[in-house]
Amino acid sequence: MAQILSPELLLAALMLASTYALVALGLNLIYGAMRLLNVAHGDLMVLGGYVAWSGFTLLGLSPLLGLFGAMLLAAGLGIACYTLFFKRLVRNTAIAARLEANSLLIFFGVSIILQNLMSLVFTADARSYSYMDTLVQWGSVSIALNRLVILGISAGATVAVLCFLRLSVFGIAIRALIQQRDAASLIGIDADRINIVVFCLGFALAGLAGALISMTESVTPFGGFPFTIAAFVVVILGGLGSLGGAVAGSLLLAFVEVYGVTLTSAAYRSILVYGLFILILFVRPQGLFGRKAN
Amino acid sequence: MARTVFSSVDKGGLTVAASLTGVAALSPLILSAYGVGVLTQLCAWIALAGSWVAFSGMTGYISLGHAVFFGLGAYIMALGWQQIPIVAILPLAGVAAAALALVVGFPALRVRGPYFVILTLGISEFLKYVVVAIEASLGAGGRLLIDTPDTVVLFYPMLGLALAATAINVWLTRSRLGAALRAIREDETAAATVGVPVTRIKMLAFAVSAVIPAMVGALSVLRSTYFEPMQLFSPTTSFTIVTMAIIGGSDRPAGPILGAAFILFLSELLWARAPQTYMILLGALLIGFVLLAPSGLSGLWARRRSASLKRRAVVGRPA
Repeated sequence: MAQILSPELLLAALMLASTYALVALGLNLIYGAMRLLNVAHGDLMVLGGYVAWSGFTLLGLSPLLGLFGAMLLAAGLGIACYTLFFKRLVRNTAIAARLEANSLLIFFGVSIILQNLMSLVFTADARSYSYMDTLVQWGSVSIALNRLVILGISAGATVAVLCFLRLSVFGIAIRALIQQRDAASLIGIDADRINIVVFCLGFALAGLAGALISMTESVTPFGGFPFTIAAFVVVILGGLGSLGGAVAGSLLLAFVEVYGVTLTSAAYRSILVYGLFILILFVRPQGLFGRKAN
Repeated sequence: MARTVFSSVDKGGLTVAASLTGVAALSPLILSAYGVGVLTQLCAWIALAGSWVAFSGMTGYISLGHAVFFGLGAYIMALGWQQIPIVAILPLAGVAAAALALVVGFPALRVRGPYFVILTLGISEFLKYVVVAIEASLGAGGRLLIDTPDTVVLFYPMLGLALAATAINVWLTRSRLGAALRAIREDETAAATVGVPVTRIKMLAFAVSAVIPAMVGALSVLRSTYFEPMQLFSPTTSFTIVTMAIIGGSDRPAGPILGAAFILFLSELLWARAPQTYMILLGALLIGFVLLAPSGLSGLWARRRSASLKRRAVVGRPA
């Protein structure tokens, strides 16, 4: 029992929750504003991880600088994806009726392309590096420094994005679009411009999350899928399109995962994660905080 | 609707189907073992993509979980191999998959759109890890199946499954049930208002579309002779099924056949030499078809035919 109450476990859960929140936020923004399901989200994270890795091992750049490169590259990809694939799709009403399904398929195509491009460029070998992996003593608690950095940056970035959405004019416009797409366009919000910003932001957050995670975990070209799934689990737990809900969902998932694994065994990790996800959707189909679909 | 069954267009389609089946049935006499293997694989994909279209293509409920039925069938075959005869295991696998579809479908089919898509994927992954945990607790990472039948022996039942899936889709394009399913896709509330028993019909279609994938899975594991849950329940199977159905077109019975044949041809051409290039091409094709030709290869073909046949082809085209 003493193990369950240890502060290390609490920190581990909080750290996982903060990365999940960051990962899910990007996914949720794009879904909320445009009803597009980005199944390539995890692959964008892997791309971010590769940017940080190459910056560190090839150029000797600190990953803390590399993560800006990861965000820039991902945001650039976001602009490219939007203008190439989705600009017409979002406008074209004939296809828009099946927009969600189509976006899923297009992003699936993007995901396959990204995975295999990365596999061609970086080979299938797992890439990792060590950066700030010294242990920090804090009373009786010891924790790796890079994990603390990840916790700090992802929690900070999540709060910053949430503040941006609540306080800035642009953020309020995005939230208006999430709540009432047609009404937002009627009062003069330029949906097209907002869409590009949302794509940039959503993709950049994935790049950032990937660059952060690469400090503690190795990067492989096909390693993005579990992250995509975790992001979807978090977002559905909180309700698709509900930004605050995703933060709550990430806390719930991380605590169930960390404490569940401690109480049972690491072999049951995936069963716990998916079990929780299925249970919530069966009991509350619109997610924990989602509004009922009309 | 039933009156269009014997129009001349359908007779043409029937002739094509019969001659294709005849050629396929006789091909093991001339083809090498490798050729028969490829053909068996083609039939497997046609059966899988066809079953998917019968539910997801018709209702618009996109299932990303069909790998779970495939895996379940393979698991039942691996458990029963050399204890129960194959002819008993195959229907058993089908019934088990239909039962699983009913149990899962009852709560899952209450949610629509993205929730349903991700839920099916989640259920499939959940059951995959449950099977992994069961097998691990039994102390086995996988199961080796010995003395499995020859590929040529497995080819004929696989051909039968591909035919069955296609026949179901042909029947759905012209039956009341098919019309009801398409009504659900276009507007579920409106369908319920005019008296379509939506819940019952969705459940029925989901269960039916689970049966054939389970049997395909059971036969496939006999071909690979090794049961490994991570591989047989792999979400890649679900994704490949969807890609084939989209590229072929999920509105016409010929769609899954064209999609499966096209992708298998591409994979035979490129997979061994340049797997990454093959996958990149596949991704680009998927995006291209969704954006530029949402009705798939079969839709493009039908458009060309209707341009030349003008009036006649309009009769046989589904709404």
